[in-house]
Amino acid sequence: MSEVVATAGAPVADVDEDRRLRDRPLLITAAVLVAVSLALVLGEGLHAWGQASVNGLVSGSYVALGAVGLTLVYGTLKLTNFAHGDMLTFGAYAALLGKVTLGLPFVVAVAFGMLVSAVLGLLFELGMWRPMRRKGAGAFQLMLMSLGLAFVLRYGIQFVAGTENKNYGIDTTAVVTILDLRLARVELVVMIVGVVLILATAIILARTTLGRQMRALSDNSSLAETTGIDTGRIVSVTWLFAAGVAGLAGVLAAMAANSFTPEFGFRLLLSLFAAVILGGIGNAYGALVGGLLIGLVQEWSTLLVDANWKIAIGFSVLIIMLIVRPQGIFGTAGRV
Amino acid sequence: MHELLPLAISFDFFNGADFWVGVGVLAGIYTVLTLGLQLNVGFTGIQNFGQIGFAAIGAYVMALLVSDADWSFWLAIPVAIGFAVCVAVVLGVITLRLRADFFAIATIAFSEIVRYIAQNARGLTHGNQGVQDYVATWRSFSRDVRHDVLDGIGMGGVEFNQMPLLIVTWIAALLLLLLLRHLTKSPWGRVLRAIREDEDAARAMGKNTLRFKLQSLGIAAAVGAFAGILLALQTPNVAPDNYLPLYTFIGYAVLILGGLTSWWGVAVGALIVQFVLEATRLIDFGLTESQTSSMRFIIVGLVIILLVAFRPQGVFGKREEMVLGD
Amino acid sequence: MTDPTPDEAPIATAELPDAIPRVGPTPAAGDLPPGAGGAVLLQVTDVVKHFRGIRAVDGATFAVREGTVTSLIGPNGAGKSSLFNAVTGFYPPDRGAVTFAGRSIFRKPPYAVARAGIARTFQLTRALTAMPVIDNMLLAAPHQRGESLAGALFPFGTRAREKQLREQALELLALFRLDTKADDYAGTLSGGQRKLLEFARALMTEPRMVLLDEPMAGVNPTLGRELMAYMQRLRTERGMTFLFVEHDLEAVMANSDQVVVMAQGRVIADGTPDEVRRDQRVIDAYLGGAGG
Repeated sequence: MSEVVATAGAPVADVDEDRRLRDRPLLITAAVLVAVSLALVLGEGLHAWGQASVNGLVSGSYVALGAVGLTLVYGTLKLTNFAHGDMLTFGAYAALLGKVTLGLPFVVAVAFGMLVSAVLGLLFELGMWRPMRRKGAGAFQLMLMSLGLAFVLRYGIQFVAGTENKNYGIDTTAVVTILDLRLARVELVVMIVGVVLILATAIILARTTLGRQMRALSDNSSLAETTGIDTGRIVSVTWLFAAGVAGLAGVLAAMAANSFTPEFGFRLLLSLFAAVILGGIGNAYGALVGGLLIGLVQEWSTLLVDANWKIAIGFSVLIIMLIVRPQGIFGTAGRV
Repeated sequence: MHELLPLAISFDFFNGADFWVGVGVLAGIYTVLTLGLQLNVGFTGIQNFGQIGFAAIGAYVMALLVSDADWSFWLAIPVAIGFAVCVAVVLGVITLRLRADFFAIATIAFSEIVRYIAQNARGLTHGNQGVQDYVATWRSFSRDVRHDVLDGIGMGGVEFNQMPLLIVTWIAALLLLLLLRHLTKSPWGRVLRAIREDEDAARAMGKNTLRFKLQSLGIAAAVGAFAGILLALQTPNVAPDNYLPLYTFIGYAVLILGGLTSWWGVAVGALIVQFVLEATRLIDFGLTESQTSSMRFIIVGLVIILLVAFRPQGVFGKREEMVLGD
Repeated sequence: MTDPTPDEAPIATAELPDAIPRVGPTPAAGDLPPGAGGAVLLQVTDVVKHFRGIRAVDGATFAVREGTVTSLIGPNGAGKSSLFNAVTGFYPPDRGAVTFAGRSIFRKPPYAVARAGIARTFQLTRALTAMPVIDNMLLAAPHQRGESLAGALFPFGTRAREKQLREQALELLALFRLDTKADDYAGTLSGGQRKLLEFARALMTEPRMVLLDEPMAGVNPTLGRELMAYMQRLRTERGMTFLFVEHDLEAVMANSDQVVVMAQGRVIADGTPDEVRRDQRVIDAYLGGAGG
């Protein structure tokens, strides 16, 4: 409603209350995390909790990286992008193409996968999303188009690569033991790379001009426009960034799973949405934190119930969050 | 490539009767499933992406009541549908107050949770194995129809095995279509359309919009559950993989093709989509099986993109009542 | 597609259709001073509404008497629309009390407020563009059994009501010169016509009180004057009560019995147009405030 705009400039600002409202959920989240961790340590033992947490950080890292692009694109363009999960798949297969078909060293192949994903993201923006926005397409219209795009991407990949399980041919038997926690070496790599990338992403968003402009646009597009940001350029950069990071997240997810099919990205999509909503839709840092939280919650749940349930637990967290606090941990009430 | 076109169509219509009957049944089931989506999306403006979850609930409740609780098949059907409606009301009370896009995500999550329960609550649902022992009543009914009725018109053979299901499915689909069309032409339907357009305006006119949205979702759930039961008779196996979100999305393809707000469009859209999905099996493009199946969904995806972009009212929708695009 | 031109039969002098029921104790001519009104119909007491920590409405208190025209004015950001939305239930107020005809409507959902007898229009017109004009009207009518699922399923007996409502709607549409557009989609109407439609639609709800959110905005001056004149007649001839938010101070002063002035979420003055005009706080708010 137009009312929020009309009152936003009201001089009667109650700053203390505003701060209190915003800080409380963070505290609550932290308190819940500590309480759950303590309960799990007491009930299941320190080692089991540590192991689950490490596993959670592994999956959390690629969920976080997948979610950050999804949330930025939503915030910037109000596009609920159902094709984002398949961008992860695309990145994973592009890296596979680089490694196997082009014979690139793996690290180069990963960079190649990321680059190709970024370019594809930009192409979709230029060829599809931008013209549609110019036509004045509504949010639902764009959402449905992303659904169609998801089909084209997923089955396009399947058309080329087939339905068989693929892997990068990385040695997955090697196990590292740190502090008595056992972890496949690949998983350790995924976790370290993932966390480093999350931090790098956060720094890019916080410190670079482009990053700040992306966040500004995602947070409040009308504000960004009036402050003279070249929105067309930032939107393009946002797509490059979102798709590129999604491609990278796809490679990490594929490495961690060690076996992937053209469907895996789509299967991750709801977890990505869970991360996005947990962190507050449109909030890039929120998505990073939300991703890690989803990973942790899913793995912690395996201490209590069969591991088969962990994905469903993630979705339940999504629904509970939507009921309790749809604006997410970092969001403010007015945005929902 | 040169030999592709003339030799492409390798089917023989009459020998393929069972195949075509099967395609017809699936098209009918998709019609029923999508009628619910049409009511929600086309007439109420609520973006239900969990329709297949209601189908799963309908199928599982019916199948489990018959196979594990020894209920009568005929009694299990209304109970299963009623159960789906109750779930829809609970889901709706929780999620209908959310923004449209959050509601969409929440409903996908709902349908996936249903599927994970079906997969993992093995004691109740038999897990990935699925449920099978519920078709006896239907089989004997179906056999009777074939012997007593279809035999007389030369359709009693094995290849017309699913003919009774085809007839039942399409009669049900048409009756439901007419019923929903009747309902949406009433003052009740007028309120739904007002909510689709501007919920606040409807509320300002004294309409309890949540109640109407719940009714819309509840009816969609009932119709979806019925589609799930029909699907259970077609497969005939109730297993988690029959209820992937993919099938809701195909429902959306049907909906967009036929046109939002067009009831007849749902039936036509379902026939076209099923034809594209199934009939292409019979065409030899010189591709592997995986490539052919991929290509079908690529076509579906492209059709969605192009229709939404260039003809958002669908094939039969009215331009003035265009729900898409602002 | 164009706004009605002044040379067409003016709305203000046309016969009031029977479609509009008598809702209030209309003062007979000479009985009461004009605008004195009857008993208090709407009482707003200490209403507070926060938005993200901002107090949009900060303890507003005022009363509207039955059969009067009251306007709500104030600089931008004064909280007028927020108060409107708080009263009508669109933004449930945080604290305070709101009673209508002696009953509390505090934090009641919008539909309940509407059913209690308060119709409202919106700042930006909310014509349902993908529905025909006549459906916009019919939708607004109360007591429709055809709106229940059972009534939709078995429409016997709902048809008579539908027919009666249709006649009522056409009568009202004729008054606003929209009757020829009845079967057109509302999306084909001009901005001014949509404003008229919204007004007519509000009357279809058979309200005791009508809340108008900037009725003159985006309307040509002639049409605006006509709307005001029409409002006056509904007040005097049918006893209807009006509360409207408006920036056009000339229209406000000429048409209101009572003016409520808001600034920074509070009511800073409340009285007849003359009293308010002379009030120093009002002058300060307009000159020193966020600009009017």
